[in-house]
Amino acid sequence: MSTFAELLLNGISMGSVYALIALGFVVIFRATEVVNFAHASLLLAGGYVTASLHDDIGFWPALLAGIAGAALVGAAVEFLVMRRARGSDHSVLAIVTIGVDILLTTELTRRLGTDVLALGDPWGDAVLTLGPISLAHTRIAAFVAAALLITAFLLAFRYTTWGVAMRAAAESPETAALMGVRLGRVSLGAWAVAGGLAAVAAVFLTVFPTPGLERATSLAALKAFPAAILGGLDSTTGALVGGLVVGVTESLATGYQSDLTFMGRGLGDLAPYLVMVAILLVRPAGLFGTKELARV
Amino acid sequence: MTTIDGPASTIDAHAVPALHVDHLTVRFAGLLALDDVTFTVDPGTVHALIGPNGAGKSTCFNVLSGVYRATSGSVRFGEHELTGMPPHRIAGLGVARIFQNLALPPHATVEDSLLLGRHRLTRTGFVAAGLRLPSAAREERRHRARVREIAEFVGLEGLLGRPAGSLPYGQQKLAELARALCMEPRLLLLDEPVAGMTADERRRVAAVIAGVRDSLGISIVLVEHDMGVVMRLADTVTVLDFGRLIADGAPSDVQNDPEVVRAYLGEEATP
Amino acid sequence: MSDVLADTVAKPRRTLRQPHARTYAAAAGTLLLLALPFYVDRFWLLAGLFAMAAAIGAIGINLLTGATGQLSMGHAFFLAVGAYSYCVFAAEGGDGLTGLGLPTWLAAVLATLVAGVAGGLFSPIAGRLRGPYLGIATIALIFIGQHVLFNARELTGGFNGRDVPPLSLFGLTFDDSELLVANVPFGSAEKLWYAGLVLLLGCALFARGVLRGRPGRAMNAIRDHRIAAGVIGVPVARYRAAVFVLSSMYAGLAGVLLALVFQRTVPDYFGITLSLEYLAMIVIGGLGSVSGAVIGAAFVSLLPQLLTRYSDALPLVSAPGTGGIAPGEASRYLYGAAVVAVVLFLPGGLVRVAARRRVARNPGEER
Repeated sequence: MSTFAELLLNGISMGSVYALIALGFVVIFRATEVVNFAHASLLLAGGYVTASLHDDIGFWPALLAGIAGAALVGAAVEFLVMRRARGSDHSVLAIVTIGVDILLTTELTRRLGTDVLALGDPWGDAVLTLGPISLAHTRIAAFVAAALLITAFLLAFRYTTWGVAMRAAAESPETAALMGVRLGRVSLGAWAVAGGLAAVAAVFLTVFPTPGLERATSLAALKAFPAAILGGLDSTTGALVGGLVVGVTESLATGYQSDLTFMGRGLGDLAPYLVMVAILLVRPAGLFGTKELARV
Repeated sequence: MTTIDGPASTIDAHAVPALHVDHLTVRFAGLLALDDVTFTVDPGTVHALIGPNGAGKSTCFNVLSGVYRATSGSVRFGEHELTGMPPHRIAGLGVARIFQNLALPPHATVEDSLLLGRHRLTRTGFVAAGLRLPSAAREERRHRARVREIAEFVGLEGLLGRPAGSLPYGQQKLAELARALCMEPRLLLLDEPVAGMTADERRRVAAVIAGVRDSLGISIVLVEHDMGVVMRLADTVTVLDFGRLIADGAPSDVQNDPEVVRAYLGEEATP
Repeated sequence: MSDVLADTVAKPRRTLRQPHARTYAAAAGTLLLLALPFYVDRFWLLAGLFAMAAAIGAIGINLLTGATGQLSMGHAFFLAVGAYSYCVFAAEGGDGLTGLGLPTWLAAVLATLVAGVAGGLFSPIAGRLRGPYLGIATIALIFIGQHVLFNARELTGGFNGRDVPPLSLFGLTFDDSELLVANVPFGSAEKLWYAGLVLLLGCALFARGVLRGRPGRAMNAIRDHRIAAGVIGVPVARYRAAVFVLSSMYAGLAGVLLALVFQRTVPDYFGITLSLEYLAMIVIGGLGSVSGAVIGAAFVSLLPQLLTRYSDALPLVSAPGTGGIAPGEASRYLYGAAVVAVVLFLPGGLVRVAARRRVARNPGEER
């Protein structure tokens, strides 16, 4: 069915964007064992910078500014808050990120108000039609951008000094520190990278066919959380797979909603969470997460 | 070496069965932590488990207390098969354990930490506790009294009201030992009970352990690096190296076993 | 040391000792609370009631997150279950909305139980997931809740929400029908005030009993050393599930009280922001402590009311609608910052600051 193929492709494209967000989330978790509930607001911050500047300096410079901005915000959060809270209980660290999220979100939603901002992207509402399937250019660009960034990131993770340092710190912070890895730099790097990736994702969450950047964008970004969880919170592969699962589920559920009206409207938003819960029932640590290896 | 009179035992010494570890193998993602280990802990004896670092001693304890799953083999305590049982049920059978890295709640008082050890022996649930029913208060009173007895036996009675985290390391370890005893165990697994202690503290703990064996008749498995303590206390010694059992017998025999010497000191360089 | 032991052994003994300053303060506080409806205007009573409901909810999430270490973002879901179940049980049906017309006190009890059952249904998952996995899995509950609230129009009234039938107990209806007590007209807020105080007191005492007793010790062990807790004999998964149910019942009851105070339930209220507010409350007040939960709840819930009321006198804050920072936003800035400040500079929350000089005596409950 052309509808199915179209839905699938759209799902994969959005899924790759979710994967981008989830990847940043997982990087922070692996490097610092912190669940970053402020991630959605990092994304909103990056998007906001891009949206505010594109009129003055053009889309691409604005995008770079957005990436830099979000990376800075992430780094600032790490430096000013997370670093000083290190050593607290994990729930406490998670709740501190909630505090940061409340602060960032309040500030950003206040500035946004009820506005819907355009991001000035170059793809506009162009659509590519291949036989029975039509795919928006923005969706194709999303997939390409996400694929490139994710590949670049994974290569860096595996082969650069920074990547190795990050993985070492994730395995065993004490040992890594003893081996000369600057844990502070690793965390700072992780938060900055996560911010940058989120800023790119912000673009693709707010271009055609969505109306633009608005308050509700952070709710859309929230979907990266189930993506990261169902893939396994400490697995980068999991973030990718999770993102795709969420994207495809959402797309199919929204697409077939009209056939499933008994389930009510808005199923597309709910379906990824249901899938996450189902997966967690069977694999409590996500698909690729490390199962507890108890060390007492 | 002096022994200390134990608290009046609530355990029937004849009820302590032997612990049979049979062909126990534990494999983690390619690493063979325990390789076909077999030994028996006779009831009422102190059985030491020694070996160089990484030999698999803590892994063995983790399997015995249900924290790790065995890849193959069996652990039988009396008529119960311990492999595959969740930790709290193993605790229910009377297996108590102290941890290498302390597991005392940082802010709770020593008395309340010890009271946690009475968990499987008490029954107050949420409703009884929340409504502060008289049965809950009575049960708590009774068990606090018992905890105090055990604290006295171990030598901590003066410290019961202090937050557990504020005690010096040696006394925290003693508190952990007391907590394990509060479980009224039939089998006690002691993971490096004297590590990090001063000579005096070591003597004290060794005396407590001997007292426990003599007056309570429970089986004790001891992982320890301090050879003095091991040789004095142990009835049997099992030696592990790289996950394999290389010696098993009376302390004096094991001490002179060439395999054991080689494991600890390495091969003699041939000129 | 001996009086410490005596103290912990049997509560009645406490009366033999000289009552401290703390007891006098508590007595004075209680009298003040009982007398407030006679003197204070409706705005403050509503704010206070709102704080009481929040406190009950906060005590619940504290049992789960503060004492047992299980992060849950799903608290708002159970609040919604409580609030809406009460409406369904207590309302007279009609007008497209389901209602069973049960006596309202029964509806309140049932609504709390339904919240507990809902918690029970999720508890097998709650029992098995650790830390961050549970936190995010509970976000699913919020979305499920929102979905049901917006779509199950017969039960919930959809996005419009439902009217809340006022409570009536012993023939007295807690609504605005006037009742004169000592020449002071008692409307719904005044009457609910006492009901709220009784409920809060009951909930707080129950939670304290749990935390100071055997379950509290087990819960703290699960939080501090999960594996060691199992080895000591605590059935970890079962306790986690049980605490999840207990905390959802607290949330359900808080939801009922909130519904009674607002007299209307709307789905928008029960979103993820509400869950985040409850987590902020317990961190600010102090994790693991009942009094901490109450203090944190009062702080977070009264802040927007205070700011709204005094927005003219305060710089920066302006009345909602005009430019500048709205009171709602200002209060969010404040408690968001408070969360960060407490974690960085005042670990243990406001309660720990107040109790710095006292030796920790009752460890089932952190001080």
